[in-house]
Amino acid sequence: MRQVSKIKFIVFAMAVAATTIIAGCSSAPLRTEASTSGIRAAEEVGAAKVPQASLHLQLAKEELAQAKIFSAKGEKKKAASMLLRAEADAELAVVLSREDAEKTEANDAVARVRQLRQDNP
Amino acid sequence: MKTKQFLMIVLLAALLAGCATMPPNELVDARQAYQIASEGQAAQLAPAELHKAKDALNLAEQSFAKDPDSARTKDLSYVALRKAELAGVVGAMAADTSRKDRAGAAFEKKQTEIVQQGKQDLRDSEKQTAEARAELDKQAALKEAKEKSDAELAVVQANKEKADADLLKQQAETTNQAKQDLRDSEQRTAEARAELARIGAVKEEERGLVVTLSGGVLFRSADSTLLTSAQVKLDQVAKALLTVRERNIIVEGHTDSQGSIAYNQGLSQRRADTVRDYLILRGYPAARIQAHGMGKGSPIANNASPEGRANNRRVEIVIEREMQSSNR
Repeated sequence: MRQVSKIKFIVFAMAVAATTIIAGCSSAPLRTEASTSGIRAAEEVGAAKVPQASLHLQLAKEELAQAKIFSAKGEKKKAASMLLRAEADAELAVVLSREDAEKTEANDAVARVRQLRQDNP
Repeated sequence: MKTKQFLMIVLLAALLAGCATMPPNELVDARQAYQIASEGQAAQLAPAELHKAKDALNLAEQSFAKDPDSARTKDLSYVALRKAELAGVVGAMAADTSRKDRAGAAFEKKQTEIVQQGKQDLRDSEKQTAEARAELDKQAALKEAKEKSDAELAVVQANKEKADADLLKQQAETTNQAKQDLRDSEQRTAEARAELARIGAVKEEERGLVVTLSGGVLFRSADSTLLTSAQVKLDQVAKALLTVRERNIIVEGHTDSQGSIAYNQGLSQRRADTVRDYLILRGYPAARIQAHGMGKGSPIANNASPEGRANNRRVEIVIEREMQSSNR
């Protein structure tokens, strides 16, 4: 009899633990730090002023928003995947912005050399 | 009919099976993007990013293999697409950086060349300036030297002109003086000649003016001592000669033909000497008087008659012409 009670207690404990774990998982906050910081970085390097980068910045923002919606609906996997998209777009927006600046600087440098040579044949 | 239905079912099953293995557009795009990136600059300039893109694509492929139609496969494919694009952009950025660095290096090199050329130009310019300045200095020195030379030349020219003028003036004065002297000399000569003509016979010969004094007037016979009366006559001669004292004179003693040659030679020399000494005593310059005994060798008349011999006994005073006197 004592043996049965012990088993019941174990099953109960496991049930409580499982419930707790499941409840914990379902209420875990969405990890948006990477996406958010990526978007902020893109904005700081001036992605909004570069057409292609601006597009990906916008996509990143929309994807972050969508991830939050998924998260709010409890669709954690979709939310996590959407966050991956947002991070990828934000990262691409940053690189596109930097590349645009680098290209401008390179073109300016080439133009300066060309002008210098033209002025000093 | 059953066979037809079976074939339709098989075909439908095959189509369904084919549709089930079709990759989503995201994966197709990701593959293509990775292909482009790996064949572009990213392979060399962004290998790390290209590797991440490859990993992302592998995850997408794995997800596609497990669950082709899942949203996760699409999301992973989307991420792989972005990673591939990012690798391409990083490669392009690296290329831009390299291009910028090369342009910067070329700019610095060109600037260095320009600076070097500028320095060289400056050195050349300074050198040319120095040369031009040296040339100007040289020209100035030459000009100064020329001006100095011209000034000196002008002075020399002026001095020469003055000297020429002085010379001309002096020549004119000398000429005038010479003319005056000549006139004076001629005057004195004429006066002396006139005076001498009153004293004795005077004749013009090639050797000069010859004054002939009779031997009988001057000396006793066979004697060379002057008579007292002769001294008066010789005083007059001396007075006349002193007016032409710049002339050389020769006192010549002559005898007649009587007596030996040696005797006559000695007598004529002594008489010439006596007259010479007397004239010197009276003030005529000794250096300009010579005395010659001519003996009987130069008669002027026939010795056959007493009158002829009297004429041959004589003393001749030869006053040389002015030119002959100055040449002595």
